[in-house]
Amino acid sequence: MHITEGFLPPLHAVAWTAASLPFVFFSVYRVNRLMREKPEIKLLLAASGAFAFVISALKLPSVTGSCSHATGTGLGAILFGPSVMALLGTIVLAFQTLLLAHGGVTTLGANVFSMAIAGPWVAYAVLRSAKGLKAPLAAGVFLAAMLGDLATYLVTAGQLALAFPDPASGIVGSFLKFAGVFAPTQLPLAVVEGLLTVVIVNFLREYSGDELQNLRFLPKPLVSEARP
Amino acid sequence: MRAIDHYAWTNRWRDWHPVEKGLPAISLLVLTLILPPLTTAPLVLAGAMLTTVYGAGIPWRTLVSVLAAPLMFLLAGIPFLAISVDFASGFDLALSPEGLQLALVTALRALAAMSCLAFLILTTPLTDGVLLLRRIGIPAGVIELILLIYRLIFVFSERALTGRQAQAARLGYSRLDRSVRSLGLLGGNLFQRALEQARRLEIGLMARGYTGELRVLPPQWKPSWTRLVAGMMGVGLVGLASGWLARSLS
Repeated sequence: MHITEGFLPPLHAVAWTAASLPFVFFSVYRVNRLMREKPEIKLLLAASGAFAFVISALKLPSVTGSCSHATGTGLGAILFGPSVMALLGTIVLAFQTLLLAHGGVTTLGANVFSMAIAGPWVAYAVLRSAKGLKAPLAAGVFLAAMLGDLATYLVTAGQLALAFPDPASGIVGSFLKFAGVFAPTQLPLAVVEGLLTVVIVNFLREYSGDELQNLRFLPKPLVSEARP
Repeated sequence: MRAIDHYAWTNRWRDWHPVEKGLPAISLLVLTLILPPLTTAPLVLAGAMLTTVYGAGIPWRTLVSVLAAPLMFLLAGIPFLAISVDFASGFDLALSPEGLQLALVTALRALAAMSCLAFLILTTPLTDGVLLLRRIGIPAGVIELILLIYRLIFVFSERALTGRQAQAARLGYSRLDRSVRSLGLLGGNLFQRALEQARRLEIGLMARGYTGELRVLPPQWKPSWTRLVAGMMGVGLVGLASGWLARSLS
């Protein structure tokens, strides 16, 4: 769910950009170092970034009829880890703004915070804890993608609530308002995205386990480790 | 996506230095955000749209379709700025004049800001802007990464469309459960082929002596101060006109 250009008041746009910058800078630093150590990583990251853009542009089958798109944040966090995902997600969001007119330049910071930072970190944390609890991989992947998606949506609702507090019930009321209005599309979307991510991860484990082994952006590859 | 990229590369102002288009567009965007929207937004909207259509030669249809991109979001979000919810006594919905004003102001501001963005993305190819990122200290490697992603997006989206068509022809999207499965397989397939593409690129580049740097010939722009100053004066004019309008209306 992209916040459109000009929707946020200037102060909020600046504040969210400032909040996202440290994460993105750290990611730039880390990716740049990775690419220096292994030049071929650049091509792998480029392919992954383009993949993330294309998957997010695909229309999802939707229950409610309105057209909705996958976010790919969960999948990205599972495959590459959240610290790489901050930069890749920022690039993808910027491309969505410039090529599809989704989102905006001034709201890029807010969108990066919800989609490239909050979503991936939640997904990563969920997958980690599911692994810690010895849950089946499919369950972990499903929960990670679904909760990552939900986190993105709730953070966006929170951003809107902070920017436009309700005159009667304040920020809390406003949050419930925005969370409520987007819930009919976002809740089914999160479930569909969770299922979709499971299908993708299963497919990849079955047919390209070797490539997954090579995706060492993570300290320990979460998905490939559990190969049968 | 095709339409925006197509006009970005073929419009009348294609060969201008990106700063000549970017600086006025961003300045106008900032004006839209900081000046009172009721008087500024209509002027910005008119100015940006007329410049896009009569200056850069973008068809109205394309411009309107770009402006309509956030329509769903606005339609869902704007009414809820006008309506206020109160939980103090059960569940009360109220429509206040201030709420209506806020909704109107936000919608106008978003629309005007969108027109600045539309001007920028319809007249300036993405790669032109990316090359300027180096000036603000983004590492060269990351810029190459961005340009590679730009290139690969078009390769992959063609594959995605073809794959989707093939699946649809085999009734892969006839039911919800099938759709999820088909889309998952398509995504998995795309990723696999993306990795393959990366490996092929790597081998091809290694064979040509790749050490981590892709050397390309940057485009040669002839910067024109006249155009830049004219653009900024246009923006200044919009700002002054909106200030005058605000004063004479109040």
